[in-house]
Parts: sequence; structure tokens; C-alpha cells
Amino acid sequence: MDAFLAGMAILADPYMVGIILAGTVLGVIVGALPGLSGSTTAALLLPITITMSPVASIAFLGAIYCAANFGGSITAILINTPGDPSASATAYDGYPMARRGEAGRALGMSTIASAIGGIFSVFVLIVAAPLLAKAAYSFGPPEYFALAIFGLSMLAAVGSSTGLKNLMVGAFGVLLATIGLDLMTGVDRFTFGVPELSEGLGLVPVLTGLFAISELLVQVGRLQIIPERLGLSAMKLPSMADYRKCAKAIGLSSVLGTFIGILPALGATTAALISYNETRRWSKYKDEFGKGSIEGIAGPEAANNAAVGGSMVPTLALGIPGSATTAIILAGLIVQGVRPGPHLFNEQPTLLYAVFASMLASNLIYVVLGLFAAKLFARITLIPDAILWPGVLVFAIVGAYGPNQSLVDVWVMLSFGVIGYVMRRYGFSPAPLVMGLVLGTMVEETLKQSLLIFDHNWLLFFTRPIVVALFVVTALSVCAPWLARAIRGATKSARLRAAEK
Amino acid sequence: MPAHQKTCLALGFGLAVLAAGAVQAQEAFPSKPIEVVTHAGVGGGTDITARMMMVQAPAALKTELVVANKTGGSGSASFGYAASRPKDGHTIMLITQTHLLTLLQGKGGTVKVGDLVGIARATEDPQVLMVGANSPYKTAQDFIAAAKTKSMKFGTTQIGSVDHIAVVGFAEKAGLWKPIVVPFRGGGDIVVNLVGGNLDGALLNYAEAESQIKANEVRALIVFAKSKMDSLPQTPTAAEIGIPAVYSTTRGFAVLKGTPEDRIKLLEEGLVKSMQGKIYQDYLKSSGQSEGSVVGRADWQAEIDEFLKTGDAALTSLGIKK
Repeated sequence: MDAFLAGMAILADPYMVGIILAGTVLGVIVGALPGLSGSTTAALLLPITITMSPVASIAFLGAIYCAANFGGSITAILINTPGDPSASATAYDGYPMARRGEAGRALGMSTIASAIGGIFSVFVLIVAAPLLAKAAYSFGPPEYFALAIFGLSMLAAVGSSTGLKNLMVGAFGVLLATIGLDLMTGVDRFTFGVPELSEGLGLVPVLTGLFAISELLVQVGRLQIIPERLGLSAMKLPSMADYRKCAKAIGLSSVLGTFIGILPALGATTAALISYNETRRWSKYKDEFGKGSIEGIAGPEAANNAAVGGSMVPTLALGIPGSATTAIILAGLIVQGVRPGPHLFNEQPTLLYAVFASMLASNLIYVVLGLFAAKLFARITLIPDAILWPGVLVFAIVGAYGPNQSLVDVWVMLSFGVIGYVMRRYGFSPAPLVMGLVLGTMVEETLKQSLLIFDHNWLLFFTRPIVVALFVVTALSVCAPWLARAIRGATKSARLRAAEK
Repeated sequence: MPAHQKTCLALGFGLAVLAAGAVQAQEAFPSKPIEVVTHAGVGGGTDITARMMMVQAPAALKTELVVANKTGGSGSASFGYAASRPKDGHTIMLITQTHLLTLLQGKGGTVKVGDLVGIARATEDPQVLMVGANSPYKTAQDFIAAAKTKSMKFGTTQIGSVDHIAVVGFAEKAGLWKPIVVPFRGGGDIVVNLVGGNLDGALLNYAEAESQIKANEVRALIVFAKSKMDSLPQTPTAAEIGIPAVYSTTRGFAVLKGTPEDRIKLLEEGLVKSMQGKIYQDYLKSSGQSEGSVVGRADWQAEIDEFLKTGDAALTSLGIKK
């Protein structure tokens, strides 16, 4: 308890609050810019943090991490360009809302949902880190395989087009996931001698192309049409009714996002995609999704920020980073002479509580920022299209080039812009492609690893309780429509029989 | 134009070129920021090594340094980029054995085996055989005895990587059954699966599993280094149990052939000096790497040549290199 209070006391120190504030503002900005992500920024600033005290340096990096995940949603909503891969699911519904003139409502919901998810996960981190840390060990390749299958079982339902079209796009995404070095054999697949492709297709260029460039091409065809500008309603923040409507989505996704974040191999992007599926599955208003459903923003945004706190669990409790950014935070800790691991909770509790306090503070700071700035940012949607979209193109090219300083990524982005445009012309939703790309790699690798571990006896999958549970849930969700029909039929005939008596 | 005028012009032009060359040679080095090319993504182990070196380097080299992360193709992309830059000492590479294996497989583009000139070694991280705490093998002898009767499952990073070659080499030298290699994306995943009991063993660097070792969740059985590690005083070296094997993950700086000799010397002095600074040495210590990591050009070059020899044989025996 003393340690807890000592940790919280940093929030009374003006220098520390300044550091956290700086980290948060910086995080929101780099999160919103497609070319800069939280991890790149953290790595660039790592040498600077060495000169700070351990607590200040981790508070700074932690604040960047928390805020960057929220920042990604700003550009996703306003210009259909996820600033961070974890915000890709937010664009599915956020951008249609902005086109309708409800940018403020969408940004406001993203802010609140992000903060609730983020704060929930920090509390989980405080209370349960040492306990949850052990859960990570029970997830080996077979368990990840079952989880990925569960995610893929939703392919037909994610996205706004028909089930069959979604499945086709999803399968295409899985196919694209095979590009690059095959982990099992060390052979390059479908790279055509381009070394940059051996790491697989970069998620950032693919997303920027699919969303931003394809939107740009769509807009080019609409330049003659003078859209009706709904100037004032763009600034409107969400109403209480909106929050009530999204409460379920935020609650569910906060829990789910935290859990997925804790698993060492999965990050905020996967958390957001899976939560988008689940939000849709449990929503009363399924038909709104993909056309501007406010729940479709609340779910993934709560989840990707919850994954931040979640991924700090294995980082601090096991010394195993759950994402690129936590890998840098880990390095930052090591340089400061702090070795993360189970012993850390006994040896340096004050430092840990200071980290938790700074993450909480960061989540609160960007709420204030987000709600104030939402009105300001929402004005972006009032810029005439002929000026806005060329700007987005420049932005997107810089964004795709930035992370790896590679022109190959720019070509990948432009190609996916064309692919995305063709898909949209013929009524295919891009969402399943992203799902397939992210989960395809995971399914393939974990299946092969599992079979090696099981000596190629696939029946051994059924000796793992977590795997069996996930398979059962998957089977139920696939068969849900028939089951529902069967149950309805059974109750109907029972009622008829009762009436006959 | 008469002939003698042509001669004069040619002479004059020749003199001008010579003069320009002389000026070029006397031009101060470094005259612009030095680029450090790495194959690791931002935040990867090699990237962090580069950034730690850079903290104190501007003072020693009298110029700024920037990292160029050229990921892709296990180093191929970084070779491609380095080859496209002028060989004037303003581009240095931070290489690992991965780069050397990539060269051996002929995937270095225009860069061939023998085109690398070592400047200074940056880190030396011995490989350690580790098992999960619930593993039935308590000592190195237990493990080796069991591995002579069945194939052990080892977690490694990708096929043809440094630790994969080390696993195969260890198995050959100790006379074990052919190991089953399960590739993973990174060391963190391997540690989780060791503790979770999905793998029999793995060759890892100490830092990758330090917190699990301290929490008694992972046991270190053999250190593949010339001498015992300070951080693992109980763990025998491979030589002590009668297996002559030394494996480590090594990183170091290099330039491509054609860089002027005097500049290589300046780079060597500057880099060694900055890596002997407190910040870099603290980083070595805290990440469990050997204290004698930083060595100069002669030793590092000898090590590169040695590895190219053994790596070539290993790749051939794995069937990766025809």
C-alpha cells in the first residue's frame, strides 16, 4: 500500500506531470500521422530517455504508447486513413459517419471508448499482472491456432457486403499472408526476388492503400457532385443515448482487448479486429455495421487501448514484450538497470506503481485533449475535397515510405489502392482482407508448429482444454443460425402440442 | 582545333582531375552524418545495439549518426542499400551472423562473400542451452543422455539462422539423435513455450530468458562459451562436459570493400571509444552480454572469416546451400 501511494505521488510532481503531458501530446500526434507509429517514435526517443530517471523515462514512453493508439483513430475516422494499424477496424464505421457529417460524434465516441478501455486495462494490470502473467504460459502454438481459427470463422460476417463476397475477400487475404519468408522452411514465397517482400506485406502500406488511396480514387469520380456540407452537426459530440447504446460494446471489448493484449504474440491490431467482430455479433443493430455504426467505433477503440495495458502485463511480469512498442519500453527499462520479471513486483513496487499511475494519467489527459480537439479536428471534414484528397495522397505516400524507408512499401500501397478501388466498385468490403492477412500468417505458422510439437498426430489437439473450448465456441458460432432455427422450431412445435391439448 | 591545343587541353584537364583528387583525399572526414545500416526493424535487438552505441558516438566521431532500418531478406535489403551508397565511410553496417549466412547463400545482391571489412565488434552473446523448470532433465548430462535415445524438440528462430546452425552443430558434436527443430518468430515465443512445456530445449541468449531464470521457471544447462558466464556461475561450459562447441550471437560494425583505409581507421577508433563509454558498457552488462564484447578490427575480422568457413559447411550439411 505504501508503494502504491508512493507511486501515485508522482502525479503531484510538476516535472513528472509535464513529462507525461509531453508524451501524451506527442503520442496523439504521431498516432494520427500514418507514417509515424508509437513504436517508431519510442525507438527514436530511446537514447534521450537514458538521461532521465527510470520512472520519468518509462512514464514518458508509456504515455506515448497509450496516446498513440488513440491518435490512430483520428485520421481513420476523418480521412479513412488509419494512423496506426490498430485503428484499421475503426475506419470501417468511423469514416462513413464522418461522411454523414457526424465526425464529432465519431471522434467523441472514439475518445471515450479508448479511455475506458485503456483505464480498465491499467486496473487489470495493477491488480492481476502477477496472476495473469502465468496465463501467458498456457498459450502455446496449438492454443494460438484455435484462437486464429475462431477469428477466421467470423470472416463471412465481418464487413458490409454479402457473406459469400466477404469469404472470397477473406480467402484472398489469407493467400496474401503467404507472401514472404516461410518460417518453417526458410524459403521465400511469392517475393519475385524483391528482398523487401521477404518480411511479408507490410500492414501499414496495405491498410493505407486499401482505405485511403481507394477512397481517393472514389472521390475523384465525384468531384462534379457538390456535396451538401453539414457544417454544424460535424462538431456535435456523442449524446448520453449514444453512450448507453455503446455500453455493452465498450465493456465487452475492454475485457477482450485486455486479454488479447496479455497474450505475448498478439497486439492491438488483432484485438481491434476480433473485437469488431464480437461487437457486431452481440449488437442489436447488426445492419448498421459498415455503414456508420457508432458501436463499430466503440468496440475496436476500447479494445486497442485495452490491449496497451494488456501487453504491458507480459512485459513487466515476464520480461516478454507483447508488441513492438513494449519491446522498446523493455529495452528502456533494461538500460535503466531495471530487469522486468516476476521478481520486479517484490523488488521495485514503487517504480511499477509509478508506471501504472503515469499510464492512467495519460489516458485521462487524452480524453480532455480528444474531446476539445475533436471539434477542431472535425473541421477537417469541411475542407473542400479537391484540396483535401491530394493532401491525403502526399500524406499516404510519406506514411507508407516512413516506417522502413522503402519504396517497395510505396508501390505496395499504391497497388492496394487500385485493388481496394476495384473491390469497392464491385461491392466487396476490404475488412475481411485485413482479417485474412493478419490471421492467415498466424493460422499457418501455429498449425505447422503444433504438428511438429505433436509429432504430426493432429488428434493431440483435443488433449488441450483451451483448444477444445475454443473449437467448441467456433463450432457453435458457425452453426448459430441453424441452431437458432432448430430451437425456434422446437419451441413452436411444443407450443402447438400444448395448444392441441 | 590544332593538335598541340588538344594536348594542352587534355593535360590541363588531367591536372584538374588530379588536383580535385588531391583535394578529395584531404577532405575532412567525417563531413556529414554517418548512416548506420541495420537489418533489424525499429526496436529489434540489433537496432537497440546501434542506438546505444550512438549515445556517446557523436563526441568520439565528431559527427551525428542516424540509423537506417532496412528490414527484409535476412539482411539482403540492408546489403542492397549499403551497396547503393558511396563507399566514403559515411555508411557503416551493423552486421550479425545472419548477414554472413545470407551472403553465403548468395542472397547479398551485388555484395559477395569477402566484400565485408570488419571495423569493431559490438556485442558477443553466448548461446545457452535451456530447458523449462518442469523438464525431467536436471543437468547437462541428463539432457545429453536422454537426447541419445530420442529426438529432442528444439525451438529456434527461422530455418538457417544462427541458433538453428548451433543446434545442429551441438547435436552432431555431442552425438545426439537428429533434433526436431520448431521455428518461432522470436526468442520471447520460445521462452514461453519452454516454460509451457511444448519444447524439450532451446539455445537462447541469457538476456532472452533472464527473468524466467531468476524466477526458477527456466533452467540453464550448458553455456556455449570459452569460459563460464558471470550471470550463470553454476552452469558448466560445453568444454567442461566434453563437447568442444562455442556458439554466440555476435554483432559488429563493418563497411564494404573500397572504403578508404584511413577512414576505416578513424571509424574504428571512434566506434571503439564510444562503445567503451559508460552508457554502452552499462547496456552490455544489463543485457547479460559478455564484458569483452567490444574488440577492434583485427579480432573482429578474424571472427568473421572463421564464421564464414564454419557457416558454409553447416549450410551445406543442412541442405540449405547446394
